[in-house]
Amino acid sequence: MPFTHRTTPAAEFPTVSPDIETPAQAADLSTMGRRGFLATALGGLSIAFALPDVGRVFGAKAAGGPTPQALASAYIRIGTDGTITLMFGGSEMGQGAKTGLGQILAEELMVDWRQVTVQQSPVDPIVTYITGGSSAVSGRYDNLRIAGAAARESLIAAAMLSSGDHTRANYSAASGAVTYTGGATAKSWLYKDLALAAASPAAQALVPTTLPLTDPSKFRIIGQSVQRVDIPSKTDGSAKFGIDIWFPNMVFAAIKHCPTVGGTLASTPQKPSGAIAVVPCTASDNRGLVVAGSVNAVAVVANNTWSAKNMANSLNVSWKLPASTATVDSTQLLAQAQTLLTASSGVLTAEPAPPAGSATTAAQQTGLVEPSVLATLGTPTVDATYVLPHLAHATLEVVNCTVRLTYDSTNKMVTLCEIWAPTQAANWVAGTALGLINAAPAQASNPLTAAGVVVNTTFLGGGLGRKIEQDYISQAVQVALAVKVPVKLTWSREEDMTNDNYRPMAVVNVKAKLSSGAISAWYLRNVSGSILGQRGWMAPGTVDSQAVEGAVGLPYSLGNHIVEWAPLNAGIPLGFWRSVGTSINAFAVECTIDELAQKAGLDPFVFRNSLVSDSRVKAVLAAASQMSSWRSSLPSGHAWGMAMAEWNGTIVCEVVDVSLQSGSLRVNRVACAVDCGQVINPNQVEAQMQGGIVHGLNAAMWGQITFTAGKANQKNFSNYRMIRPGEMPQITVQIVPSSASPSGTGEPGVPPIAPAIANAYSRLLNSRVRTLPFFPGATMGD
Amino acid sequence: MALLTLNVNGQTYTNVNVPDTGMPLLWLLRDILGLTGTKYGCGIEVCGACTVLVGGQAEKSCEFDVGSAVGKKIVTIEGLSPAGTQSHPVQKAWIANQVPQCGYCQSGMIMACVGAVNAGHHGTEILNEMGNLCVCGTYQRVRSAVSTL
Ligand code: FES
Ligand code: FES
Repeated sequence: MPFTHRTTPAAEFPTVSPDIETPAQAADLSTMGRRGFLATALGGLSIAFALPDVGRVFGAKAAGGPTPQALASAYIRIGTDGTITLMFGGSEMGQGAKTGLGQILAEELMVDWRQVTVQQSPVDPIVTYITGGSSAVSGRYDNLRIAGAAARESLIAAAMLSSGDHTRANYSAASGAVTYTGGATAKSWLYKDLALAAASPAAQALVPTTLPLTDPSKFRIIGQSVQRVDIPSKTDGSAKFGIDIWFPNMVFAAIKHCPTVGGTLASTPQKPSGAIAVVPCTASDNRGLVVAGSVNAVAVVANNTWSAKNMANSLNVSWKLPASTATVDSTQLLAQAQTLLTASSGVLTAEPAPPAGSATTAAQQTGLVEPSVLATLGTPTVDATYVLPHLAHATLEVVNCTVRLTYDSTNKMVTLCEIWAPTQAANWVAGTALGLINAAPAQASNPLTAAGVVVNTTFLGGGLGRKIEQDYISQAVQVALAVKVPVKLTWSREEDMTNDNYRPMAVVNVKAKLSSGAISAWYLRNVSGSILGQRGWMAPGTVDSQAVEGAVGLPYSLGNHIVEWAPLNAGIPLGFWRSVGTSINAFAVECTIDELAQKAGLDPFVFRNSLVSDSRVKAVLAAASQMSSWRSSLPSGHAWGMAMAEWNGTIVCEVVDVSLQSGSLRVNRVACAVDCGQVINPNQVEAQMQGGIVHGLNAAMWGQITFTAGKANQKNFSNYRMIRPGEMPQITVQIVPSSASPSGTGEPGVPPIAPAIANAYSRLLNSRVRTLPFFPGATMGD
Repeated sequence: MALLTLNVNGQTYTNVNVPDTGMPLLWLLRDILGLTGTKYGCGIEVCGACTVLVGGQAEKSCEFDVGSAVGKKIVTIEGLSPAGTQSHPVQKAWIANQVPQCGYCQSGMIMACVGAVNAGHHGTEILNEMGNLCVCGTYQRVRSAVSTL
């Protein structure tokens, strides 16, 4: 028999025993007990608890957008079989989230971290989480510790019931057992033997209202570089990413978008011979010129990905283009932005904010504050304009999504929708699917409910902010509804790069005045597109927090200062790119500060140190300076530069050593000092810093997406260059000890690297580069 | 359509139905044989995510003609060591150095490394031979792992 398909479906994702997450239990969450926990006996002790839906995207959305999910939840379960499980609703995209969460829970539960299994929740929409803002671990630290303590105290309470002595001081928990030392002879119970009784109302009544947390000085596991649990599976091909999902009767889809932003389908193209179907797809969201609900793409369905991709690629489609697409052009956009740099209207003040209670708008504030700042500035010591391009996420795993629909006996009404996707926003995926499915007339009388949608978050081959978007999810659901068999939609690299939600391009002007070695006036205007505005997540006439982050709340003493933002309406879909606005503003700020240090005749470390008062920032500067003692003995032809940025509580300073090699700049080494609060896993902090530095370095050196008449010019890695293994600088990471709450590490490694390289460049060649990338038009071959 | 006999990871697959002429090895491995450890990243031989061994040599499978793999031993990441053991020296070095982040590039990284070692390269030569893209930026740990081989 011809071998046409693999015969052994891969063991995909474990289905979770229904007793853990039934809708009935979900309802119970609203009536959680006095401590915010719900303990139930389901094959042991289950502690359901709320995890705040934290992070950049969620915060942004909550500020001005649709009602956020008020409660996201998780479960700890201690089984009568000795298993300890944490159900995790977030995304593992390489940041070691599962390992870090296991460490935190094990700490409070007093067990070996290897005993804790962190399972991906295949989520009904109650256990939701958005992974963004470097929050996967840090955002859950406090609640997870408290929940872990609740589980531990419940187990101790069960031991109290067993021995009859209710004095807490007579009990201790260690190594997965509770020991009683109040009697003549010590007694000990394994957790598994206490698990059932621990959930009883009698035991719960003994659990203290204020839960004792482990003293950080006694941490055994938090702060240790334990090995990541997901790594072995990522060395033998067994880790399942979204793109790897497969079913016996599955079909494969590829997509072709209108190559011009904002274009829509003129007429449905003919089905190519050999194709199973051609499915016009609507856009899921408003993004610039792309209008939600308009047909901006066509999917081609075939019996393998390669055929589908080829057929989509050569599909002859006629598109309707709006007149405005011609202006989606990088050269024109730059000119437009430069005009906005000096415009007096359409500008909003981000800092200083109007006094509390005043009715002054951000636009009025500009008119009020600007004149006094300009007066202090007089002739600025530095007046510099920085230009930064649009950037693609280019996650190595292209976006993809698998959908399997189950129909009722009439084969018209969907009764179950299962989705497998590399997503950073599982709850939005469920919402996207529900919306599309229930729009069908067949569902009118019997709409699919939230319980009918199961979202399986797979491993992500990089998230980087791209995989919170719903475009690819929506398309896959639309195709599944059209073909009624399981389907996996995979974008080609070319579609992925030319239909991204891009890091906005920006033009930033900074004017600063130096007086007696200090800054007496500072004026910064950022002109860039609005990520939140495009999504309708903020009120018009307000400042987009994403556009000005890294420009406001700086740790430096800036004298009389104003930070402004002028929104640029580019029409190009914009999104959250690792470190978002800080990736832009830190470049402008840190290059300017460096230039001021130069003008003041001061060492850049000394100058910065004189401008800051925050002791944590000072400690990071000192550590970076000490780590880079090689600065004073660089070989000739080398130069150093440094920059610092603070991101959501994490402070990072990077120092680089650069040299010229055959006309191109080479970064030889990077010293990186970081304060990210309480460290969960130092090895992962190091990895995230290394990754952030590489990400920022690629962008600074070569990264850019340019548009000509509405079309992105870079389509694949061949002209979206990144470093190769042999070009990797030696990165040294030092963690500055801190007792602050943990703050994220995924993003903050990115912002300082571009300005650090630019500052080194100016020392090397005595000329300032203020436009990124340094080497536009770079290419890459095989 | 063509029916081919291929040797992948020591197993002989007879009458493999190649649905389209010109389907490269990558998609045959992934969509027809179900060996999804080998990844698609660019499709144009730039990123290296699709690297496998053909006749002991590292090859980018995304543009590798299936026909020229006939009669040769193909090894993918799944065939590097017995399932679940991660016992190949390169896999061991990768785990010891905690190399992967998202992990998506790593099958190709590891296979390219094995290919470079097979070809008799050492140290930095191996890194330069590899040339794989890792968007997560795991290169420093790749370098540490390679230095222990
Ligand atoms: S997928 Fe083959 S080299 Fe990128
Ligand atoms: S580990 Fe993510 S691309 Fe290399």
